[in-house]
Amino acid sequence: MNSVLRLLPRPLQIGLTVFLLTIVGAPVGYVFLASVNTDLAVAAGEFWPERVSVGNYVRIWSTVPLGRGLANSLLVAGTVAVTCAAVAVFSAYVLVRHRFRGRRTVLRALLGMQSIPGTLLLLPVFVLFATIGSSLGVPTIGTRWSLVVTYLTFGLPFSTWIMVTYLRELPGELIEAARVDGAGSWQILLRVVIPLSWPGLVVAAIFAFLLGWNDVLFASVMTDVDTRTAAVVLQVFGAAQEGGAIPPYGQMMAAALVCAAPVVALYLAFQRYIVSGLTAGGVK
Amino acid sequence: MRAGPGWLARPPPRRRRGATAGGAAVWLLAPGGLLTLTVIVVPFVVALVMSLLDLDQYTFRQWLSAPFVGAGNYVEAVGRTSLPHAIWVSGSAAVIATLLALPLGVAAALTTHLPFRGRSLVRSLYLIPYVLPAFVVGTIWRIILQPDGVANQGLATLGIAGGLWLNGPKSYLALIVVQAWSGWPLVYLLALAGLQGIDDSLHEAAALDGAQWRAKLRHVILPLLRPPVALAAIISLLHMVNSFTLPFVLFGVPSPHDVEVLPVLTYVESFQNLRFGLSAAMAVISLVLILVPLLVYLRTVRLDEPEATA
Amino acid sequence: MNASRGLLAAALAATVAIPVTACDPGSSAEDGRTLNVLIGANSIYPTEQKQWFADVSAKFQQQAGAKVTFETFASPTDELTKIQTSMLSGQGPDIYALGTTFTPTAYSTGAFVDLTADQWTKIGGRDRFLPATLGISGPDATHEVGIPFTSRPFVMAYNKELLAAAGIDKPASTWDGLRQQARQLTGAGRYGLAVAYGDGFDPWKFIWAMSIQAGNPLVSDGKARLTDPVTVKAYQTYLGWLATDKVVDPAATGWKNAQAIAAFGAGKAAFLPMVSATSKVTLDKSAVAGKYGYAVMPTVPPGATSLPSGGVGATSILSGDNLVIAKYSKNQDLALRLVNMLTTAESQEAYYRTFGELPTNAELANRLVADPALAAIVDSASKAHGTPFHGGWSKVQLALVNVVVQSVPNLAAGKVDDTSLNALLAQGQSEAQAALDKAK
Repeated sequence: MNSVLRLLPRPLQIGLTVFLLTIVGAPVGYVFLASVNTDLAVAAGEFWPERVSVGNYVRIWSTVPLGRGLANSLLVAGTVAVTCAAVAVFSAYVLVRHRFRGRRTVLRALLGMQSIPGTLLLLPVFVLFATIGSSLGVPTIGTRWSLVVTYLTFGLPFSTWIMVTYLRELPGELIEAARVDGAGSWQILLRVVIPLSWPGLVVAAIFAFLLGWNDVLFASVMTDVDTRTAAVVLQVFGAAQEGGAIPPYGQMMAAALVCAAPVVALYLAFQRYIVSGLTAGGVK
Repeated sequence: MRAGPGWLARPPPRRRRGATAGGAAVWLLAPGGLLTLTVIVVPFVVALVMSLLDLDQYTFRQWLSAPFVGAGNYVEAVGRTSLPHAIWVSGSAAVIATLLALPLGVAAALTTHLPFRGRSLVRSLYLIPYVLPAFVVGTIWRIILQPDGVANQGLATLGIAGGLWLNGPKSYLALIVVQAWSGWPLVYLLALAGLQGIDDSLHEAAALDGAQWRAKLRHVILPLLRPPVALAAIISLLHMVNSFTLPFVLFGVPSPHDVEVLPVLTYVESFQNLRFGLSAAMAVISLVLILVPLLVYLRTVRLDEPEATA
Repeated sequence: MNASRGLLAAALAATVAIPVTACDPGSSAEDGRTLNVLIGANSIYPTEQKQWFADVSAKFQQQAGAKVTFETFASPTDELTKIQTSMLSGQGPDIYALGTTFTPTAYSTGAFVDLTADQWTKIGGRDRFLPATLGISGPDATHEVGIPFTSRPFVMAYNKELLAAAGIDKPASTWDGLRQQARQLTGAGRYGLAVAYGDGFDPWKFIWAMSIQAGNPLVSDGKARLTDPVTVKAYQTYLGWLATDKVVDPAATGWKNAQAIAAFGAGKAAFLPMVSATSKVTLDKSAVAGKYGYAVMPTVPPGATSLPSGGVGATSILSGDNLVIAKYSKNQDLALRLVNMLTTAESQEAYYRTFGELPTNAELANRLVADPALAAIVDSASKAHGTPFHGGWSKVQLALVNVVVQSVPNLAAGKVDDTSLNALLAQGQSEAQAALDKAK
């Protein structure tokens, strides 16, 4: 089986893996070395720390409310990921399986929306939320849900596209077979399409998750002290007064790695869904 | 931005073979359409209005009564700022960085296709450049690329004088390399999902034909990967054109001439010169300039059409 | 189609309506007993800052029966975004701590309370503050928005050991003298000066200081004066240190302020101009701990041996934080009470002891002069001079730095090219003037 599935000869596979890991590893390794170094040495560009200290990994938790930030980020990005993937699979299913006027316009507009810079929308979005909040008497600015709604919207076009490219490759016979069995549209979606689209769904969810995880622009104005996300909280490590003490570089690097860890861990956990493609769905 | 009206004002879909009733289609698109309308379309229209006003720190407080200048901001942006230069820098750097990221991402997907010990870990490690916050990536690369930094020390051992990477002509290369470095995992994730979606029977068929790996890759696998990789290319291009934090942290403000990218330029107009109207006009111009080639490209690759076999 | 248009129009109308509702004083049901303060995050003393927030809150609760909540911002961009969104929506912090050089811009927005004589009285009167610190509170003494809160004057750190070894008893008081000393101190892998040519802020402060000392404040009567010969001379001097005098590490073309501090901290440079007192936190952990001192920077412009007529002997820009009160705030009186509390000698002393930032309170500042370790810094605070108070100043500042940024490739090649310098200055001049002309 393995030899059938093999894509690259073994030496090339090993060579490429080592090459790619080096490309990733060299700068990331530097980030790690800097995280156990002193701020002065990092600023001076020192590569190997003279004295290794893990103190930065302890200090980051009291310098900023990192724990709360991570919890907020997980909550916001997690909700966005799940909702986004769900809405995306519905939309994509319609866009792939149905022919209607304006369909292509919708598809292209989805990509077009990706090119709108966030900075252009920041102020209007903020004002819109503030208006909705004050006219309906519900809290908006400073709440997690306003952030979820924002990221969900920004994540949808891309997630939908991922699902479109994915669903298009699904064999139509399966759906036909289900229909012949008397399954309705809704049942086909839940019983056939979704179980077959796990790899695509996971990737769509990952991108939506990362959007919420990495954003600073919207989170910095739409959150308050209690709802700050990790990405915003991290910015404090870069804060420095002009001509004053140098910023806590070591802590900055340590915190960046700590914040990357949950994402890497989540990916590790969700990988089993993308390990096996269509075979798992019983296509054969 | 025809997304909103297109979404809402859809005629009832015609039934075709294999399609379900039209009613379901409309309501399944409704949540996404409504969200897009409120969080993207309406704010975008407001931003368009702002770009027609002489909006700066003096008029911002009562922005609705800011003087209407029509196309004034647009004329100024094109004629009296370095916007054309910035569009060229951003666009060309994004294209080159994407071209660098594509082979890296596809290669990464290919190497982690087959199970091997530690594959999960390798797969996750590949993600790290994409997961690190942009300002940290910028900070570490700035330190690496300092005139006496690790990069130049390394080059010096090879007998090469590295010189200046954060300013001057070579800063353009630095911008491309760092963008490609932080962007390739996006290609990798999409390519991997595409690869996993390929039916095993295709592998078997290729094996039965006795195809060597090179032929199999070229004639079977890569053509099937084309849609996700093309999607990745477009998205990565757009991300890179709009990427602000990385060049901002890497090169600082004001930007050195060779790396004066679009997002930093609009940032400076907005946040340092406080010309909000002008900045909005710049963003709109760049948006149009990006969108037009994108739509042309979409027609040629027919990304939005199922394969002929479907 | 009609339905979608209607929806779009309604949503747009709702968005557009906000400034109107925001101006309606009755529209907010905000609890009148909570004050919101926006202040810069302190990444050097994070736990101390949290404690200070708690202390201030507790004390104010006791004094005024009201709550104070603090929000922090990480960068000037962050703060500006907050100001913008608050101005548009009419909700947000009641009090902002603003950098001094940003105060003119804030004033020009008209969004902050222009203090009346009566309001000044409520915060202890203008006499409470060190006169120099009021220099950038407003365009004139009757139109002021900024209440001086902390002072962070710029000084020059010097390596006592290196100076002593070269037989130099004290840092020069003229820029020419400093260059001479730097030449003497350069050699054996060491450089006379550590200068951050790649920094986004440092360069303009040098150019401004050398210019004003020669009598050119860069902006006067709404006119930019970037191509003035004394300013050209300032650029030649500043760029010349690295390019032709070779008294700065060539690697400094890529340095930000942090790298300059690191080089000085490693003992690789004798002088570190343009740092504030908080650099002490870093330097005390470095290899030069206990071996360095602070002095005021030269006050005699390049090419001169004494202050020319019309010149101002400024040691530093007027630097630090001002407090401003938002016009949209429904708690302006309460805000004044808090400002009053924060600027008393007692509060300012606590702040100084915790964060190392100098007070603006005159009584306390005069007491601190007696401390020899602080002498140079307090001296600099009293001789600091405000940068031009103009709404377009930030553009001028940017134009000044841009000249240095675009000169870096030449600098790395070891030259100060007068033709390209003049071209850059001409461009900067026209951009700066255009920004000044937009003032309303």
